[in-house]
Amino acid sequence: MQKSKAFSSMRETFGRKISELGDEYKNLLVVTADVGESTKAIYFKEKFPNRYFNVGISEQHLIDFAAGLATTGKLPVVTGFAMFLMRAWEQIRNTICRMNLNVKIVATHSGYSDNNDGSSHQSLEDIALMRVLPRMKIIVPADSLEVKRSLPVILNEPGPIYYRIGRDYSPPITQGILNHFKVGEATILKDGSDITIIGAGIVLWDAIKSAKRLEQMNISAAVINMSTIKPIDEKAIESYARKTGRVITVEEHNVLGGLGSAVSEVIVKKYPVPMKMIGANDFGRSARSQRELLDYYKINDKSIINASLELLRLRY
Amino acid sequence: MSLLYNSDIHLGSSLSVIEILAVVILKFKRDEPYEDKDWLILSKGHAAPALYAILAEKGVISIDELWKIQDISSILQGHPEVFIPGVDMSTGSLGQGLSFGVGIAKGIKMSQGDGRVYVIMGDGEQDEGQVWEAATHAVSMELNNLISIIDVNGYQLDGTTEEIKPKHYLPKVWEDIGWNVLYCDGHDISSISYAISSSINSRKPTIIFAKTVRGKGLPSIENTKKQRVISNDAEE
Repeated sequence: MQKSKAFSSMRETFGRKISELGDEYKNLLVVTADVGESTKAIYFKEKFPNRYFNVGISEQHLIDFAAGLATTGKLPVVTGFAMFLMRAWEQIRNTICRMNLNVKIVATHSGYSDNNDGSSHQSLEDIALMRVLPRMKIIVPADSLEVKRSLPVILNEPGPIYYRIGRDYSPPITQGILNHFKVGEATILKDGSDITIIGAGIVLWDAIKSAKRLEQMNISAAVINMSTIKPIDEKAIESYARKTGRVITVEEHNVLGGLGSAVSEVIVKKYPVPMKMIGANDFGRSARSQRELLDYYKINDKSIINASLELLRLRY
Repeated sequence: MSLLYNSDIHLGSSLSVIEILAVVILKFKRDEPYEDKDWLILSKGHAAPALYAILAEKGVISIDELWKIQDISSILQGHPEVFIPGVDMSTGSLGQGLSFGVGIAKGIKMSQGDGRVYVIMGDGEQDEGQVWEAATHAVSMELNNLISIIDVNGYQLDGTTEEIKPKHYLPKVWEDIGWNVLYCDGHDISSISYAISSSINSRKPTIIFAKTVRGKGLPSIENTKKQRVISNDAEE
């Protein structure tokens, strides 16, 4: 799966798609801090060398430089490793968000996807850090196909956006199911009536797998792709909480402050039901593949099935 | 006058930079046409009172409003915000203005605009690593429409700039990086004007070291760390 040729990685798709969009959006610029090869922004450079900037290894400057470009009417897309962009959290807060600037931040290598490099390079806290920023929107595409669909949409969405993708592993999640993307709108990957599984990003592969397995056990599980984490689709969460009475969240991020927290904030306000949150609880480590890490930290189909069975045993 | 001893404003830093702001805003800064306008970034945002005073002098904000600075009913925040008329960048966190200015200067060049970007920094602010990330990038892009002025008042929050971290080497560093380095007396209108005029035909980005006195004009705080005038000194 890791090296599957059938489906290109999200970063590869990002690099190709953003280069394609450069023809349509003449003010589109791509800015990076010496990781153009890794983020695949390099494809844009090959096509538009005068609209591509490598600011050197300086993430704080990267963010404010992009903010300045946006102020003059350009449309800068900042690319970098999710982890190292967090080094410029204060610049994102104090300049981009305070001034509500039209800067799109494409954070690659998120979650455990930089599996070889280990915990220094893995980003399991970024969604929490971005969620608390006023005006910031957060998009987590499920797969490469959703990258293709959502990139043109976010370029037309005004204001700051944090767009989180992984490195290589990108199983086909939305193929044949979805054909549209709208900021703030969750999509139903599978309907169900006994339990709702809400996920974002590649972990939805395990969510779908577990829902199929649960089906064999006569348990009807809905799977929701929450590709916009902020602003979150409150209506979808409430309606499925009412419909199924149990909610599980699964994310490649710390359970504090991420998707699980965001969903639970809606649940407690709108329609309290029992919940379980699956995600990271600590820093990661090195491994030969991202898949190995997801299994090692129990962010997988087995955990979702176990959590579902536990919730179904609950009476309330 | 009550403002001087009742408000929690950075009076010393405001008084060191005020002539620099006056010259840039009232003499050099062009506001029209929009695509060729000049930009002013007060990277040392704690000198906001001086910026507001000059914007009031220009007629962009009302003089009455000045006395309400930091009041909950006032538009005038403790540090500059872009929702205040005449303010080009929300600042307050040191070290970010030059990077933002580099972005604007490059954006102007890409659009073949004629605008210049003025970035005013503090000497203490030179401690921020991001200043150097921006400084080297500006040179690599040959941004000669970027003019930065350092208000060299010799103080930062906890003491003199020399005792906290020596700064005497700074002009040489800026020069070695590739900036056009100029000097002026930061309280002398003609000296500031001359330096800025000299920068306009430079092929490199320009940095002007403007020697100033912290708290200039108020003897009880002049050349000290003190920010406020105590009530006994109110006659000043």
